[in-house]
Amino acid sequence: MWQIIKNEWQFLGRSRMLLGISFAFLLILVLAVFLGSQQKQKQSEAYQTAQKHLRQQWENIDAMNPHSAAHYGTYVFKPTSLLSSLDEGVNSITGNVLRVEGHVQNEIVHSEASQMQAISKFGKLKSSLLLQYIVPLLLIFLAFHSVSSEKQSGRLKLLVLQGAKPFQLVLAKTLSVWVYGIALLAVVVLVYGLMNLQYLNGEVLGRTAFFFLSYALYYFVVSGLTVFFSARWQNATVALTSMLGIWILWTVFLPNMLMSSVEKWHPLPSRNEFQAAMKEDRSKGIDGHNPSDERGKALEKATLAKYGVDSISQLEINFDGLRMQADEEYGNQVWDKHFGNLREVLGKQKQTYQIGGLLNPFISLQNASMGFTGSDNLHHQAFLVQVEHYRRGFIKTLNDEHAFGGSKTGDWGWKANNDFFKSVPDYQYQPAALATVLPNYIYDLGLLFFWAIGISFFLFFGAKKMSIA
Amino acid sequence: MKGFNIFLYEWKHFIRSPFKVVALLLFVLAGVYGLHNGASLYNEQMANLEKIKERSEQDRQQYISYYEEGKKGPDNRPWIDMTTPFWSIWYSNTYHFKTPSPAMVYSIGQAEQYGFYKRVTFRASPYDPDMTNEIANPERLQTGTLDFAFALVFLLPLLLLILLYNIKGMETEQGFMPLIEVQTASKSNWLLSRVTFYGALVFGVIMLLLAYGAMLTGVFALASQAFGQMVLLALFYLLFWLVIYSVILVKGKSILGNTLTMVGVWLLFAFIIPATVHQWVSIEKPTNLMTDFIDATRDERIELYEQSDSVIMAQLKAMFPEIKNSPVAQDSIKKKVAMSESTTALFNELMKKSIAKVEEEHQERNTLVASTFWFNPVSFFQNRFNYVAQTHFANYQEYRAQIQQLIDQQIKVLVQDVWNGVEVDKDRYLEYGDKIANID
Repeated sequence: MWQIIKNEWQFLGRSRMLLGISFAFLLILVLAVFLGSQQKQKQSEAYQTAQKHLRQQWENIDAMNPHSAAHYGTYVFKPTSLLSSLDEGVNSITGNVLRVEGHVQNEIVHSEASQMQAISKFGKLKSSLLLQYIVPLLLIFLAFHSVSSEKQSGRLKLLVLQGAKPFQLVLAKTLSVWVYGIALLAVVVLVYGLMNLQYLNGEVLGRTAFFFLSYALYYFVVSGLTVFFSARWQNATVALTSMLGIWILWTVFLPNMLMSSVEKWHPLPSRNEFQAAMKEDRSKGIDGHNPSDERGKALEKATLAKYGVDSISQLEINFDGLRMQADEEYGNQVWDKHFGNLREVLGKQKQTYQIGGLLNPFISLQNASMGFTGSDNLHHQAFLVQVEHYRRGFIKTLNDEHAFGGSKTGDWGWKANNDFFKSVPDYQYQPAALATVLPNYIYDLGLLFFWAIGISFFLFFGAKKMSIA
Repeated sequence: MKGFNIFLYEWKHFIRSPFKVVALLLFVLAGVYGLHNGASLYNEQMANLEKIKERSEQDRQQYISYYEEGKKGPDNRPWIDMTTPFWSIWYSNTYHFKTPSPAMVYSIGQAEQYGFYKRVTFRASPYDPDMTNEIANPERLQTGTLDFAFALVFLLPLLLLILLYNIKGMETEQGFMPLIEVQTASKSNWLLSRVTFYGALVFGVIMLLLAYGAMLTGVFALASQAFGQMVLLALFYLLFWLVIYSVILVKGKSILGNTLTMVGVWLLFAFIIPATVHQWVSIEKPTNLMTDFIDATRDERIELYEQSDSVIMAQLKAMFPEIKNSPVAQDSIKKKVAMSESTTALFNELMKKSIAKVEEEHQERNTLVASTFWFNPVSFFQNRFNYVAQTHFANYQEYRAQIQQLIDQQIKVLVQDVWNGVEVDKDRYLEYGDKIANID
């Protein structure tokens, strides 16, 4: 079998056209990795400048009432992950700026896609675009006449007479084409590694390894299926057009149709409905800005009892701060309920879409690619949750300062000093660890393995029925 | 007559090629599916707008009842006084909508990236967080919705490829070419007639699909011009691909070679060039993180409000010279309140300056994209389809401009009434509805 693979490679190596295409394509791949890294670097610089600017403004607050500071708030910018230069995933669609303030959990806004007219329906020139759409096409072009040409030239009969088993033959043909895909993939990963040598760590290497594995499995599926068609049909053109049809169906039709259907099966609320429901639930809680609010009065009563005094003027602390925090905590329950529901629906949509991998391995590949590069919606949601946790801690610190920092109830003119504002920690992004997110993509990987095994069976039984003449 | 015969033979050839027939049917299926997706979004947005109008009207009736019952505002918010222009205009419940065009059935475009309804107040801005997109799955937005424009822009070239790939190549490979040359006299005319046949067939199918789409959302009745523009654009796009493929067929010698070249050209125009341009634009003009806008909404705003009364008053007088001799300007106690309520006008100017910078950057980015259209035809056509369907970036930019205009109008009325000491009653409240909800 190794001899067949070797012969196949020697044959491919003699084709000047293939060498030319391969060289040009390698250049495009390297260019894609380079441009991806350039963009990532520029984005990171812009992100750091903006974050530093905002932090400076916060640390420069000379003196301010803590609740005014909660309204002043701060902003978190969505950081780019190192691997997003390979696959940008949803990053250009989701917003980049998230306002962190009191009383409300905001939504992320100002996406890249909203800042210009439409350009590319399939995204930027990232490695993922080439690896997902173009490399499989190259594999199809390499494999579609690999067996049929042997049949037409009569070499197949000769090979069988010399002792080669049909299965060995089709497997060798598959592997020789597959190795070509693997070589292109390896170039991408190597160039990417070399360009980001200083950032490489176990986490990045682990994610890159799974990224590599997902593509390797998909390329085996594409190569194997094309060789299978080439073996089954006498006419190479039929094999090519069939595979082109499958490629269109897998990469263009099915992902679009399934994703649209999934959103209909698990519908998300409209923004208007979502906001109205939250407003309704929010109105049932304490109104931090309204001293005559009944629930606020109940809290006042409980606080007076706790401190053993008769009126809030006798309190050593500032009751306004406590009321604001109680208001926040009620609000947090409301946000958890409504944003939690959204995440649940999005989770169901993701799971249903992943099942689509049974029909279309491209779906599994896309999910795995975005997932392992940390640029899918699950990672985006994890970032939003992280920022919300930060917001809660941030606002609680301000409310605690308001309540226990030395002011008395109703003293809205009281101001915390600069030392306090400097002591409030800045937001630090914690990238999701591979070990924690891996279970989300086991299904995608499993389906890719399932497809690879299935294709091997196809090749095995297909080879048995292959006409040698 | 010869041409007609070629058309007739080509028709027979077509109906005897199951692969080609299936490809055409799949295209029709994708087109119909895309049209229904467009219609579904159109209906969804219209239904959403109806709900908002209904809720807004309910709230408005509630506010009107305060005037009828002699109340100043809601019982649980004692600080609200709706007899003052400030609170009355605040509760005028002015919404501005980007009503979808029925032509959205053809191209969803960028409609899912922006908000299409906005409550306009004198403190609002066209870049408020509620101007962001509807709640949607980002992975679905990233994958893109299969709308009719998608079928046209990306699948039409593939359909043509399948219909044309073996023209001439098959005859050459089977050795029929000399016979054809004898029978048709001109090889070029024969090839052109065959390509024209498929061009006409596909154009007919597109016309039928466009007409079907028009019936789904009432394009003929509500946006008939859009139908004509779509027909013309689709025709030009079809011709663009027919010319490219014809050149390949004329120059090519084998089915395989022609197919590979056609696929290569499709990949180049549909994937590689737009993706490279997209990447280049992102590097040249990275995403605006809106720090200027943030500065205007926070620090510059604080600085504005911390200015002395005399400075604020001078700025207000420069903007609204009529307040100088207004009744409230002569009353020192009322003047203080009026100034505080009018400072929002100065803040609005501040915001407009920062927005101008943001929009200038957007404009530069779009100019950069447009400068590539001469070698990036797919993006050009895609944007033209969006423009006809009013789902283009520029349509939403226009919507933002309208919102800004309404904010300006609201502020003008607010300042005039505050400084004239107007006491708002039901009639005045109703007048506000007309004065500030419609663009002058």
